[in-house]
Amino acid sequence: MRRAPSWPRHAIMIAVSVLMLIPFYWVLKTSLTGENIYAYPPRIVPVDPHLYNYVDVWYLIPFPRYLLNSLIVTAMAICGNLLFNTAAGYALTKQFPGRRWIVLLLLSCMLIPFQATIIPAYLITAQLGVLNTHLGIALPLLSTIICIFIFKASFESVPRSLIDAARVDGLGEWRIVVRILLPLSKSAVATNVILTFIWSWNAFMWPLIVTRSPEMQTLPLGLARFLSVLEDTTGALYAFVVLVLVPGLAIFLMAQKEFIRGLTSGATKG
Amino acid sequence: MARASGSTWFHRKQTRELALVGCFLLPALTIFFLYRILPLGWNVWLSFNSWSPLKGAKWVGIDNYQEMLFDDDVFWDAFANTLIFIGCSPIAIALAFAIALLVNSDLKGAAVYRTIVFLSYPLMTVAVGIIWRWLYDERGGFINYVLRSSGIVDQPVKFLQSFDWALACVIAAEFWQVLGFYMIILLTGLQSIPQHLYEAARVDGVPPYARLLRITLPLLRPSIFLCIVVGILNSFTSFDLVYVMTNGGPGHATELLITYIYKAGFGQTRFDYAAALTIVQFFLLVVLTVIANKLSGGNAGSLER
Repeated sequence: MRRAPSWPRHAIMIAVSVLMLIPFYWVLKTSLTGENIYAYPPRIVPVDPHLYNYVDVWYLIPFPRYLLNSLIVTAMAICGNLLFNTAAGYALTKQFPGRRWIVLLLLSCMLIPFQATIIPAYLITAQLGVLNTHLGIALPLLSTIICIFIFKASFESVPRSLIDAARVDGLGEWRIVVRILLPLSKSAVATNVILTFIWSWNAFMWPLIVTRSPEMQTLPLGLARFLSVLEDTTGALYAFVVLVLVPGLAIFLMAQKEFIRGLTSGATKG
Repeated sequence: MARASGSTWFHRKQTRELALVGCFLLPALTIFFLYRILPLGWNVWLSFNSWSPLKGAKWVGIDNYQEMLFDDDVFWDAFANTLIFIGCSPIAIALAFAIALLVNSDLKGAAVYRTIVFLSYPLMTVAVGIIWRWLYDERGGFINYVLRSSGIVDQPVKFLQSFDWALACVIAAEFWQVLGFYMIILLTGLQSIPQHLYEAARVDGVPPYARLLRITLPLLRPSIFLCIVVGILNSFTSFDLVYVMTNGGPGHATELLITYIYKAGFGQTRFDYAAALTIVQFFLLVVLTVIANKLSGGNAGSLER
């Protein structure tokens, strides 16, 4: 069989990879630079690298506060998603009148971008009295339609006989889900946890609208605030950026497969 | 007698089952009702009213829309920028397609390339905005450094303060973040194409470019459609990026509809007008999606199963 040599393809992909990685490198380099970051020409390799900027982050801004808020909101979102999505996914595996309509309703809700609802969503949240609270930030993130369908597909692949046997043994419906179905759907759980983590960790527009006081701000809001209050005059901003990116990147690299599966399942389950 | 009691037992079981299904579905459906369906209707209602938190609602018909279409230049700027933003996404999709083709072959280390290209997608968009602001910076930025040291420009270019460049710069940053996602969608599509089609074509002596045009592209239509929908939706989700990089400036050179909605709603407290803007943007989204669906063969079963 005739084969094209592979080095041109390697060359192109290496060039693409370098281009994609330069922004990461540049911000990491800046965060480690001790001298004036505006000196021209900028150095490609930091001359005297140290972690001074990272220490600065803790003093210039209430970093632990932002981190705590982000963690609380993310934890709420993950718990809500696991609870509500497994329940809804399990309900959809059953036959009941109007099931088709509910599936159709959920699918059409998927087409409404959350950003298109912000004005009334803000008014609704105000009516519920949870503006400027963790719950208010987490509320719209508590359930995800894609993940409901991922759970549904995963539950449907569990043999019926197993569920029937558990029912004969007298297990209630909720215990069937928790004891039988969830342990057999580890990859669906992982996908849901990772997607929810990334989405709530990165969420910016909604927290920006709902929070009023600085002590309720999450990490992305803290970043934007840092930028507007201190301008980008210090390398600490870039140290902050690196600190914020590390957890997301770490989780993504650890569970790449589940993450990508979750993102594309809406596209390929078809 | 036995039959009657059997059927009531059956009914009771059915009612219990129905109650259970209802309880299980209720929390998720409540969230979607509160944050998807109700807002959609509320937006429509608000857009036909004059309303603010302090005074009651007054029906004003199409006044908000009239103001938007005939007296508001910023709206038209934002509208045009949103269209440019969406119109540029095919460039990113084409790039991602080329990368996907390269990575999909039996190249050694393809998984590593894939990870690198995808790495920027799960990042926090606010951080991406700050990274790119810094890359464009006229003193410490990488791009000006490269342009100056290679002699292309003498004076540093203030990219994000320039009326000519700002929008292109924001779009480039958006490309960097979303390229990997397009690549993954297209890769998934490529991997679902049965290999025997290619083998049969090779046996028949079909040249490579014809295989690409006749087999790959037609079978990839659903994936390409999905990429286009993602591109359209990105005009909504890029709020974070624009907010951090330029906040719509200079002037309104990088104003998107979504940033204008935010400014009208939460900057000027004109919720009614912002709702009308939202309706226009939503309508734009639906129209573009329908057009994309028609172009991709009218049967993009990827979203509606």
